[in-house]
Amino acid sequence: MLLLLFTTLAYGSVHAQDDDEYKEASKESQAYHKYRLVSTKPPFGLQKVNALCAQIKEVDGDDGLDGTAILDPKKYMALSFREKFTYHMVHPESYSQNCDAMPPIQDEQKKIFGQLPDAFSEKNWSDRQEKFFTDHRDSVIALMQYCITKDKRVGLNFKHAIVDINAKEMIPFLISMYNEQKKDHDILTVLMLLMKNNAYQPFMVSASNKKLYADQEASYKSYLNFNVENEALIIKRALDFYRGGK
Amino acid sequence: MLLAGCSFCYSQANNNFVLVPAGKYTIGKKGYLTNPLRTVQVDSFSIAPYETTNRQFEAFVKATHYQTDAERRHDALVFEPGLKEFEWISDTTAYWRYPNGKSRGGIEKEMDHPVTCISYHDIMAYCTWAGVRLPSLEEWEIACRAGTTTDYFFGDSGAFIGQYANVWHGRDHMMADTMDGHMYTAPVGSFKPNAWGLYDMYGNVFEFCTGKLLPDEGNTLAHARGGSWWCSKNACNFFNSYDIGRVNIRASFSNQGFRVVKMKKGKG
Repeated sequence: MLLLLFTTLAYGSVHAQDDDEYKEASKESQAYHKYRLVSTKPPFGLQKVNALCAQIKEVDGDDGLDGTAILDPKKYMALSFREKFTYHMVHPESYSQNCDAMPPIQDEQKKIFGQLPDAFSEKNWSDRQEKFFTDHRDSVIALMQYCITKDKRVGLNFKHAIVDINAKEMIPFLISMYNEQKKDHDILTVLMLLMKNNAYQPFMVSASNKKLYADQEASYKSYLNFNVENEALIIKRALDFYRGGK
Repeated sequence: MLLAGCSFCYSQANNNFVLVPAGKYTIGKKGYLTNPLRTVQVDSFSIAPYETTNRQFEAFVKATHYQTDAERRHDALVFEPGLKEFEWISDTTAYWRYPNGKSRGGIEKEMDHPVTCISYHDIMAYCTWAGVRLPSLEEWEIACRAGTTTDYFFGDSGAFIGQYANVWHGRDHMMADTMDGHMYTAPVGSFKPNAWGLYDMYGNVFEFCTGKLLPDEGNTLAHARGGSWWCSKNACNFFNSYDIGRVNIRASFSNQGFRVVKMKKGKG
C-alpha cells in the first residue's frame, strides 16, 4: 500500500508544474487564495491591543518624531502574558522582503505547497517577537490550541509560529483539525515543513522532499498535486514522525 | 567586462542618461494577475544607465547632513550566509555606510557599488535634493525590456542571467555564493547591459519605483523591481521583466537600491 501511495505521489508531482504561462485564476481558486491568507486574531485583550496598535505611528508625523512599528515599551510591559501573545500575533514589528509574496496562481485549491504564503504582506515578526514565541513555547502552544479549537481554523500566523517554534508535538492536533474539513491544505504544508526542518529521514528521502525542497528546480512556489493519496501519505508520515520523534 | 567598465566611466562623467522616446509600449505578462500583458502610452523620459551609487548618495548626505531611516530607527535588515530562505537579521549598526552591519565591513572601497540599506522614504529625500525622480512601474519595465516582449530582455530562458546580472547562484543561502565574483553588491556596470545600454536592470539591487499595483494599497507600501544579489532561481527569482516586489516604505534592506529618471524642465 505504501509503495502504491509513493508511486502516485511521485507521478502527481512530476506533472505538477508545467503551467508557467498561467491564465487568470478561477473564482474557486481566488476564493481559496483568500482563505489561505486568513490569520487568527487571539481573543485575549484583542480590543485593547488593537487600540494600542492604532496609536503606533509608523510614519513620521507633523511632530517630527521618527516613526516606529514597535509598541511603547512601558505599554508593552503593562500587558498581561495573554495580551502580549495577542499583540505579537496581530502586530508584526519588522519587515519582510520584496519578493517573498507568491503571485496568485491557477487552481490553488488543488495544490499542496511546499511553503506557506506570507502572513503579513510587507511586515514580519521582529527578533524579539520570535524570541517571545520560543521563550514561552509551551504557553504559546497552549494558547494557539485554545484559539484553534474555538475558531476551528489554524490561522496563517499560527502556522508560521508552529513552524518557527518547531511545535512537532502539535502534529496529532493539527491532523485532527485538518480532518474536520479536509480543506486547509496548508496544514499539510506545516506537517511537511516540520518533517523537513527536523530532517526526518523517511521524509528526506521521499519524492515529496525532492520535489518541494531538495531538487535543483524546486523553488518557493513548488507544490504537489492535491489528491487523497498524497494527503494520506503526508498524514501517515507525519504521524510516524511524531511517534518516533517525540 | 572591459567594455562595461569604460562605458561606466564615460556615462558617469557625462551624466549619460538614456532617452526613452514617447510612445506605446507592450509590458506585462500574459495572464499574470499582478502585471497583465497590455499596451501603455508614456511620455518620453530619460533614465540613468546605472543604479545610484554610494558615491552619489554620499554627496547628498554631505550636502544635507541627512540621516537615513536605518540610522534613526536602527531597524535595518541584513544578510549573512547561513540564514534560511527569506530570512534576514536585524542589525542596529547597519545603514548605508555599513549595509550589512559594522561587523561585516563598510563601503570605503565600494563607492561605485549601488547604495543600499536605504528606505523608499530616504530615496524620496535624495531625489528631491538631486532634482530627479524614480521611474514609475511602467517606465521601469519599458526601459528594462528595451523593446522586447520576452520574460528577459535577452530571451525567454533565464539560463544566461549570469552574463547580465549579479544574482545568487547557490541552491540556498546557507553557504556563501561568490560564483560570479560578488557575494553582496557588485560595482554598477559590471555585467552586460540591455539593448538600450542600461546596466543591472536585473540583479545587484532591487530598484524602487513609484506607483501602485492596486488602487486600495496602503500608503506604507512601495514597490521595487528587477531582483537583487540575494535572489536565486529557487528563492525570489524576481530578476525578470515582469515581477513586481513590495516592501514597506520604511524598510531598509541591504539589497534595496534605486536608479533615477531626470526631471523634465518645468515639471516639479
